[in-house]
Amino acid sequence: MNKNFVLILLGISLVTYSSIQIASNNTIFYYTTSEAFENIDVSQSERIKLGGFVEVNSISKTPNAETKFTITDGNKKVGIVFDGFIPELFQEEMGVILDGYFINQVFYSDDMLVKHDNEYISEDGQSYDVENYSE
Amino acid sequence: MISSIGLIISWLCLLNLIILLVSSNKFRIQLLIRLNLLLNFLLFCILEIALFIDDFSISYVANYSAKSTPPVYKFASLWGSLDGSILLWNLVLGAYFLIYIKYYKKNTNNSDIKIFTTIIIFFTSYTIFSSSPFAGCVELASVGCQSSSLLPFQDLVSSLEGRGPNPLLQNHPLMAIHPPILYFGYIGLVLPFVITTSYFFRKDTSSNWVQLASDSTFYPWLFLTAGITLGAAWSYEVLGWGGYWAWDPVENVSFIPWLLATAFLHSSKTQVNESALLNWNYFLGGLMFLSTIFGTFITRSGVLISVHAFSNGNIGVFLLSGLAFFTLFFLYSGSKNIKYFSTSKKIKYIFGKSSFFIANNILLFVSALIVFIGTIYPIFYETLYQRQLTIGRTFFDILIGPILIMLIFLMIFSTKITIKNINFNRWLQTNLKIINSSLISTIFFSYVYQLNYLSILSLFGSTMLVITVLLNLVQEKRLHKIKGSYWSGQIAHLGIGLFAVGLLLNVSQSYSDEFITSEGSIITFGNNNYMIEKSYEVRRDEKDVINLPIKSNDKYKNASLNIFRNSSQQAISSPAIFRDLESDTYVTIKFIDANSYKLIFRKNYGILIMWMGLALSTLSVIPRIRANEK
Repeated sequence: MNKNFVLILLGISLVTYSSIQIASNNTIFYYTTSEAFENIDVSQSERIKLGGFVEVNSISKTPNAETKFTITDGNKKVGIVFDGFIPELFQEEMGVILDGYFINQVFYSDDMLVKHDNEYISEDGQSYDVENYSE
Repeated sequence: MISSIGLIISWLCLLNLIILLVSSNKFRIQLLIRLNLLLNFLLFCILEIALFIDDFSISYVANYSAKSTPPVYKFASLWGSLDGSILLWNLVLGAYFLIYIKYYKKNTNNSDIKIFTTIIIFFTSYTIFSSSPFAGCVELASVGCQSSSLLPFQDLVSSLEGRGPNPLLQNHPLMAIHPPILYFGYIGLVLPFVITTSYFFRKDTSSNWVQLASDSTFYPWLFLTAGITLGAAWSYEVLGWGGYWAWDPVENVSFIPWLLATAFLHSSKTQVNESALLNWNYFLGGLMFLSTIFGTFITRSGVLISVHAFSNGNIGVFLLSGLAFFTLFFLYSGSKNIKYFSTSKKIKYIFGKSSFFIANNILLFVSALIVFIGTIYPIFYETLYQRQLTIGRTFFDILIGPILIMLIFLMIFSTKITIKNINFNRWLQTNLKIINSSLISTIFFSYVYQLNYLSILSLFGSTMLVITVLLNLVQEKRLHKIKGSYWSGQIAHLGIGLFAVGLLLNVSQSYSDEFITSEGSIITFGNNNYMIEKSYEVRRDEKDVINLPIKSNDKYKNASLNIFRNSSQQAISSPAIFRDLESDTYVTIKFIDANSYKLIFRKNYGILIMWMGLALSTLSVIPRIRANEK
């Protein structure tokens, strides 16, 4: 076989292998609230995405304009301190996906996606479909 | 009514293409290609009319437009979602077909016409058999249309109001022009695909296919550059998150064809000069178009998690089978010419022009590969481990950043590069002044900006690149005999050099801060004071806008929140930007109520320099057009 061809193949495999290695060190995982408590250290975690439904009567404001609320997937409740832009459609019983980290079982987040039915399904993938968790 | 007309014309379009596929008469082919373009243009106009007269009996109009949508965005709604954008796709494809036979068809064989027609048939059949923007609505949803029919002359139902376009797409006119420009780039890459595969399919390797393929890649490359730049600008100026590039899958898949096209524009020169790299050029020539289809698959099928991937449906399977089919055809055409590939010559000079181009190709291709892997990694991970994840942007930053620096150092040599080995001693002597002045300015600015090692290195590279190219421009301007494509290249390099300076400033210097404030207070940020005035609300038909005027040095700017009616997505926070050459002060509203505002102040360095650099790269078209005129 052509020597150059072998070299190119070797090069491509090397780049592929090393970038997959680096990629696996730079991942942000999605969890539902139950999954988070099963799989990660909730006293102090890395940055993750956390999904669930906003609990009724749980939304309140802190003095420095942060928003506090609780989300649940039906099994496990998690307290949220949110410091970021609040989407207009944010309300009770809404499915949300939050970007942030755990400290002492409280989830600190600064980025929120509000989950909707009909239109934007693919936004957060099929397998993580928040609607499935609503009663 | 309009629905039926549209569906019937779509069928006519397909019929016309099938006749084209079996025609061999030269005159008839010319006629049918024009007819195809005309029919597609007609479809485009009909859907525009439907959008403007609010014909909500058409499912697409009911779901992606509304009565209150302003005219500009009604017009742009045509490509606001998948089905309509395929219509635009077909129109552009038809236009490129005409361009192809007018400018790039250099022989009388018809295999290229057949390949091109097959590609168009593939995309046209999607709008007929799978999902058409003209599908009539047969069942209403609470707002918009629930289900639709692909058959003409059905009993249609019409909702009273439409859902309206995605808020992201109706917040700024830039969004109306960015997709079509990008489409001209993506779809243009069909030209090199058709050229390479058709020449190889009939084993016609004697002629200068690579020159033709390379010429046909330049304009799509230009549209890609402009389209990506506009997308980044829109993201920065409108979306209010303070950045311009997030390594989002949609951005990645536009970047991959750009990288490959840039690589091909260079590697093709090597073949023209030295008859080397034949197989590599064939590979790149086809891969550009295949990567475009791959990108469309990634973004349109919803396999990835991304704010951009707002569509879903059976297009995934359709595009994937198309991708497989075109890839197999591409490999088949190539495999017919194994003998020809083995005639590829070796590169003679290790430090000559060709070697520089090979280095450039390795770097660009590796970048494309890295971006590709970073984009599909989540899909594979999810398939294997049933866990969803995203790749953090650090992955791309730490891998692509150093490659960009290496590319910049390569570009420095591009001004006076020769086929034969470059004499480094002589090069050092002639460029000593440039090196010294770049070094001095680098040291000065490194001190001013407190840069780290990597930044110092890239600042040195980009300063030197800018100075070298500029001096060269001035010196050689007197000798009018240089080719247009040379000047195109030089100006593009100068643009990239400027862009790199801006990017470097942006990455190393930018900072941000948060303030909780109220009406009438003054905020000190950077070296300036900002006076916060009273917020006010503007009600429009399609949205409510909360404006917050901010005053600095007698200039007023509004930071605003745009809350769209009829939509199911979050409000958009548009920034107030106070701008000068070195840096922007970029203010966005994070939270607002009657008596307190929470604002983010960002100091973004180098943005204007980046835009100027990218605009300059786009202007590289001028010398080439002037060269073609002569």
